[in-house]
Order: sequence, then structure tokens, then C-alpha cells
Amino acid sequence: MAETSEARASPSAPGGDAGGEDDKPDERMLECNICLDTARDAVVSMCGHLFCWPCLHQWLETRPSRQVCPVCKAAISRDKVIPLYGRGNTKQEDPRNKVPPRPAGQRTEPENNGGFPGFGFGEGFHMSFGIGAFPFGVFTSTFNFGDPRPSAAPRGTAQYEEEQFLSKIFLWVAILFVLWLIFA
Amino acid sequence: MANIAAKRVKREIKEVMKSEEIMGGAFKLELINNSWTELQGEITGPPDTPYESGKFLLEIKVPETYPFNPPKIRFITKIWHPNVSSVTGAICLDILKDQWAAALTLRTVLLSIQALLSEAEPDDPQDAVVARQYKEYPSIFAMTATHWTNVYAEGKKAIVDYNRRVQVLLEMGVEEHQARVALSTHNWNLEVATEELFS
Ligand SMILES: [Zn+2]
Ligand SMILES: [Zn+2]
Repeated sequence: MAETSEARASPSAPGGDAGGEDDKPDERMLECNICLDTARDAVVSMCGHLFCWPCLHQWLETRPSRQVCPVCKAAISRDKVIPLYGRGNTKQEDPRNKVPPRPAGQRTEPENNGGFPGFGFGEGFHMSFGIGAFPFGVFTSTFNFGDPRPSAAPRGTAQYEEEQFLSKIFLWVAILFVLWLIFA
Repeated sequence: MANIAAKRVKREIKEVMKSEEIMGGAFKLELINNSWTELQGEITGPPDTPYESGKFLLEIKVPETYPFNPPKIRFITKIWHPNVSSVTGAICLDILKDQWAAALTLRTVLLSIQALLSEAEPDDPQDAVVARQYKEYPSIFAMTATHWTNVYAEGKKAIVDYNRRVQVLLEMGVEEHQARVALSTHNWNLEVATEELFS
């Protein structure tokens, strides 16, 4: 075999990106362990390894039966990763608009559906509410209504607005239902 | 090809070119095409093993789902090793199968394959014939592996006696590789090998 120089696949091979900016050692500290790029929507595992949330999510989806850290193979799960929120996030981009949503920080949202779960609606109500024009997400959220919602959307996002809007509609439907029960 | 896969392969190649393994000549990595889906690796046989000084070419195929799934790697260069098929070059290595992790890279995989050459795992064989010889006749195994390294991988150490036995079969009209496989399989017993070839 012909002897060639050691760098046979040159760094400036076709399509190679302009190097330089990713070579600073301190920036490499914040590289995702899966895509090797600077972590976006960063999360950190309990074993301390950093990933982009979309990257880690895809890894967990690829092997649902064997969820281990891609670096050290410690047990890992969606519920046990911590999102990192840096200051000066210049991309004013909502991570929730990307699939999959990053798990929220461990901070329970205040209940904003006060008193509502006490009504105890029958299944028929849920069915009639679920089938129809409402998106699937709303349907599932009605089932979990009594629980604190760990994945509630952060304030100010489009999803948060939507949830607020829908919960208001839901409340009105409930009031009408009660009035109907009383007067019918 | 999926964006993340191509991007990662690019990044890995860039990093690997700066690594000490490339500088020290422990392995090489080059692109086969421009779509980042196929690469060729070359590892040098580790010192103090039958593979010493051999140059072993590897076919590396990067799946669309890389790095969530492992690269597909096989030996192009023929090799006599319990965990590599002497026929197809297929490798039995846990990290290329269920023990793959997304943070592993082509560099770490090549290093693992190189480590496999230093330390075979005969209880998890890819080639049953080789694995049996490894366990039952370790010195014949070592000489056979050295011989294959010499013949197929530019290894420097020749096993003169084995070359002579292959030559005997060649003179009987047997194809060279076929002769070598028959002799290797039958622990270099010329009679048994001949019997098998002409039966
Ligand atoms: Zn990533
Ligand atoms: Zn880890």
C-alpha cells in the first residue's frame, strides 16, 4: 500500500466548516457529548455530563429499554436531567417550539385552576370534550388536571398562552355544565 | 445523510487529525466519499502481539442515525483472530453492538479494535475455528496469526515452516488462500488439510 502522509483526510476536506472558532479549550467544556457542538438547550445528567436536550432525547428514544448515559453509562432518565439556563441567551428562540420539549426545571407552577378538580366529572364529559376540534394535547391534559403539572410550559411562551386560553375555555364549559345540571 | 451524522463525522475527522494516534502512526482515517458515509481506517498491530507491525485496513460505514447507532466496521485485511471472521472480516465487539454509546467516536472505536488485537475474547468469538485453536493450541494460534499478518498485512515476521507447507499445497494446484485456510483450520497438519481439500 502506498505510503502517504499521516493527514490523509485533510481538515479542509469538501464541505468542511471553517475551523478556528471551536478550538478554544474553554469553549470545548460546553460541548454536547453527542453532537460535539456547543450544547443548545443544554441539560446535564446526574453524573454530570452535558448534552443538548434534542440530542439526549434522541439517544433515549433510540434505546428505550437501556437508558444509560452516553458517556459513562450511568443510569439516566428524562426526569433526572437538569436543564441549564444561562444568562445572555442571545437566541430569543423558544426551545418549546422545537421537538422535543426540554424537561422543565424542578419548580412546580402555581395551581391556576383553583377548585376545579373537585367537580369529578364522569367519563362521558371527558369523551365529549376530547373528541372534536381540540388537539390531542389538551385531551391528555384534562386527564391529569388534578395533578401538579411538572411539564407546564414556561410563562410567556406560546404554549403557555395556549394553555391559559384553553384552561379558561375549560372553566367556562365547566360553569355552563354546572348551570345545566342545576337548571335542567 | 442526516445533518447531525455528517456534522459529527466532519468534526471527528478534524479532531482525529490532531490526535496523538495519527501523529504516532497508531492508526489512520480517511474519507472514501464526500458524503461522509464511508471511511477507511487503518490500524497498526500492537507490539508484542502476533499482529505486531501489521497494517490492517478497516471498512467504516456511518449510518444515517449516527451517533445514535454505531458505525458498521469490518476488517478488509484478512486477519486470524478469535473475534474477527477469517472469511468476512466481521468484528465481534460489544461497543459496535449493544454496548454502543453516543459519546463514543471513530477514534475511540479504532482504539478499542486495536485493544481487541492485544486482548482477544475467545469466550465471545466471531470465528469459532480460530477461537478453538486459541484455547486449545495457543502457540499454534500465535504462529498462525503471525503468519497471516505477514502474508496479508505486511507484518515483518515470517513463519518459514508455514510458508513451506502452503507451498506444498500450491504445487498440488490448490489456490493459495484456500490452502492457507485449510492448513490454519487443521493446525497446520498437512495430511489432514490435503485430505479435506481433495475429498
Ligand atoms: Zn448535541
Ligand atoms: Zn455520565
